[in-house]
Amino acid sequence: MGMIYIMLIVSLLIALFFLFSFFWATGNGQFEDDYSPSVRILFEDENNQKSNTYTDGNTEV
Amino acid sequence: MAEHCYHCGDAVIGRPIVAGGHAFCCNGCKTVYKLLSEHALTDFYKLEEKAGNRPSGSAAHKYTFLDVDHLRARYIAYEDEQVARVTLFLPQIHCSSCIYLLENISRIEPAIRSCQVNFVRREAHLVFDPKKLKLSALATLLDNIGYAPNFGKRTNDRLKTEKRFLYRIGVAGFAFGSVMLWSFPEYLGIGRDNPEFRNFTSWLSLLVSVPVIFFSASAYFISAWKALRFKSLNLDVPIAIGILALYLRSVTSILQGDGPGYMDSFTGFVFFLLIGKWFQDKTYRSLSFERDYTAYFPVAVTRLSAGVEEIIEIEKLEVNDHILIRNEEVIPCDSQLFSDSATIDYSFVTGESNPVTRKKGDFIYAGGKLIGSPVVLSVQKESSRSHLTSLWNEAGTKKMIKKKGATDRLSVYFLAGLLLVAALTGIYWYLVNPQNMVPAVVSVLIVACPCALALSGPFVYGNTMRLLGRKGLYLKNTEVIASMHEISDIVFDKTGTLTESEQLHPVYEGPELSMEEKQAVYSLASASTHPLSRAIARYFSENGFSAAPVSEYREIPSMGISGIVGGKSLKIGNADFTGTSGRQDSGTTVFFDVDGRKGSFRFQSELRPGIGELLSKLGAAYRLHLLSGDHQRDQRLTGTFPPGSALYFGQTPLEKRAYVRSLQQEGRVVLMIGDGLNDSGALTSADVGIALSEDMFRFTPSSDAILEASQLTRLSEFLDITRFARVALITCYTFSILYNLLGLAFAVSAQLTPLFAAILMPLSSMTIVMLSTVLVLWHGRGFSKISKS
Repeated sequence: MGMIYIMLIVSLLIALFFLFSFFWATGNGQFEDDYSPSVRILFEDENNQKSNTYTDGNTEV
Repeated sequence: MAEHCYHCGDAVIGRPIVAGGHAFCCNGCKTVYKLLSEHALTDFYKLEEKAGNRPSGSAAHKYTFLDVDHLRARYIAYEDEQVARVTLFLPQIHCSSCIYLLENISRIEPAIRSCQVNFVRREAHLVFDPKKLKLSALATLLDNIGYAPNFGKRTNDRLKTEKRFLYRIGVAGFAFGSVMLWSFPEYLGIGRDNPEFRNFTSWLSLLVSVPVIFFSASAYFISAWKALRFKSLNLDVPIAIGILALYLRSVTSILQGDGPGYMDSFTGFVFFLLIGKWFQDKTYRSLSFERDYTAYFPVAVTRLSAGVEEIIEIEKLEVNDHILIRNEEVIPCDSQLFSDSATIDYSFVTGESNPVTRKKGDFIYAGGKLIGSPVVLSVQKESSRSHLTSLWNEAGTKKMIKKKGATDRLSVYFLAGLLLVAALTGIYWYLVNPQNMVPAVVSVLIVACPCALALSGPFVYGNTMRLLGRKGLYLKNTEVIASMHEISDIVFDKTGTLTESEQLHPVYEGPELSMEEKQAVYSLASASTHPLSRAIARYFSENGFSAAPVSEYREIPSMGISGIVGGKSLKIGNADFTGTSGRQDSGTTVFFDVDGRKGSFRFQSELRPGIGELLSKLGAAYRLHLLSGDHQRDQRLTGTFPPGSALYFGQTPLEKRAYVRSLQQEGRVVLMIGDGLNDSGALTSADVGIALSEDMFRFTPSSDAILEASQLTRLSEFLDITRFARVALITCYTFSILYNLLGLAFAVSAQLTPLFAAILMPLSSMTIVMLSTVLVLWHGRGFSKISKS
């Protein structure tokens, strides 16, 4: 019976983890644009290289 | 015949311009195509057909202000030696091809290191090398490929409140899931067997529901409190009472060691309500319905001081400054004309469709758009004090009388009924079994909480708003739908609303022409890409001509074109160019000369196709009115409106507004449709103001809704959809009240168990969500948007 208390706490922690992931995603703007990512993934490969340059640009700054 | 431009999809008029085996409507489109094919970006045309935007072709001086340091600094988000970052608002972004093109723009201009598009906000985040590329050059490049950046003010406030709302939903959802999990022993009826465990889960439930009541549900308490303070009622009052009853009842139960009470219902309830609100509040973020007049003017103009051109912000202009205005630029201040003459298009400001000509020394009002060669003006009044600005501010006075929505009226009855039932239940149990009195009254308050009722409005209206949006009518918020189905009168503006502002229709004046002469004019006109030449070519194309070769073709900007066709010497252009004695009447007139025979084309705007049909359809159900800014009575319109309609011409903006107000005083509910600044007063005064726009993201006056101009003929169907929304709403109300009555039956007999409540509430909410969605979508099926071409 003691085990169930531990499991409840664990389940609560997991739920909290997801809650904070949701907060992070919202704050990070993940839900701002629900269209372009779905299109971007279909572009040809050379575009992916461009996205890499984008991240490079970020790290330089 | 029906050939469409490979780039922008518009119908090709006259002889198409051919490149790479494709037909184009104008040189602008062809140039973009060539640019894209040179840089291996032709996938653009594969992703979506005819997705291009026709470039405006007026970019030359438009962006020079971006090279002035302090103006540039306003837009640059970050800059160092190697990179600069800027976020530009590109209103023309509309499809996946746009994303493809913009995100690969570095292939056209290597100085751009990357570009990322936010489709919903229609923004592009660009990273570029500031040493190799000026910001103005970047803006010009974007303009040239059809994405003119907009440098007006934009706010981020809405984004912040939206995020906050998502947090609220997240917290409520988290609590709902957790509490339901911990309530399982209760559902299985074994909760009582393990008092220690039950106590533990109850306290956990209490813990996670604290943020739900104080954070997630706070908006309902604030709204209810505000309503009560102003001695009125809204639906949030019974909701707040219900939530509070649920929460306090559960807290008492937990403190007494009597199980988690209704904590699962409470959290689920708040979760569902918030989702309903979210669904309703999801609006068209990229469209802006509230406008400030400053957005209409350019950011900066060219000032001439001692012969030196200098770029200066409009706010810094002073009286007697000399400014240079170029073709297609908006005049920012009331001023005096310094050059010899100027032709100005005031159609957007006054509703008068014909451009006017002003002479040196004439006073020129702000807001007009210059047509033709550049002119110098002397500023007479600062921009903020111009005639146009005062007009705007006058119109900006909000609607004074805001009628109570149907839900608010309903909530009064609902609350009265609720209190009555609660009181009767209380009295009954006081007499029969006082022990049951408090629990029974509390469960009445709980079960009567109008969750399903509160979801009906958001889901019916939210679905309707989305349906309308897919068809080209974008509403500011869902309240507009409620106002729309009470409409009794429809008021139309003429210029730009019933007539097309961009499609000019030539009317021939002059001697009868022989077929050869007609063919010659057609051939010469087809050779030019000027919009007026194309309209003339289209006028003659009905004869089935094919263009004959033109020799010695010459095009003189802002004068005209000349050439030799089949041995005939031809000129098409303005009066001076063709040597016609300067007959300067109002309006755009093009003269021509075929071997000494002279004639002219007067251009007038064409009625939109399908207007007659629309008016007769609407005339059956509504009283129609026309308020035109034009002074001439338009014979075409007097015949088109159904008998009994009121037609007024030569209306000033103030008269238009006064007319709408007088209709309202007679108790009529008015829908106003207009497109220009001259309609802005009437649009804000009307019960529903719809701004018509050829291009969704162009400047329109403040309104309750924006309608794509090509969809205007669908107006009667739009109104039909909003009327159906009411039917759907009543159906949903009926269902939700049935659910409430069912719950009440259990509550008054003091038999409402937490388990029953936990099933009833989600069940009723889900029914409403599904019912409203199915009803609205089923009604809207087969109603498709009229395509652009």
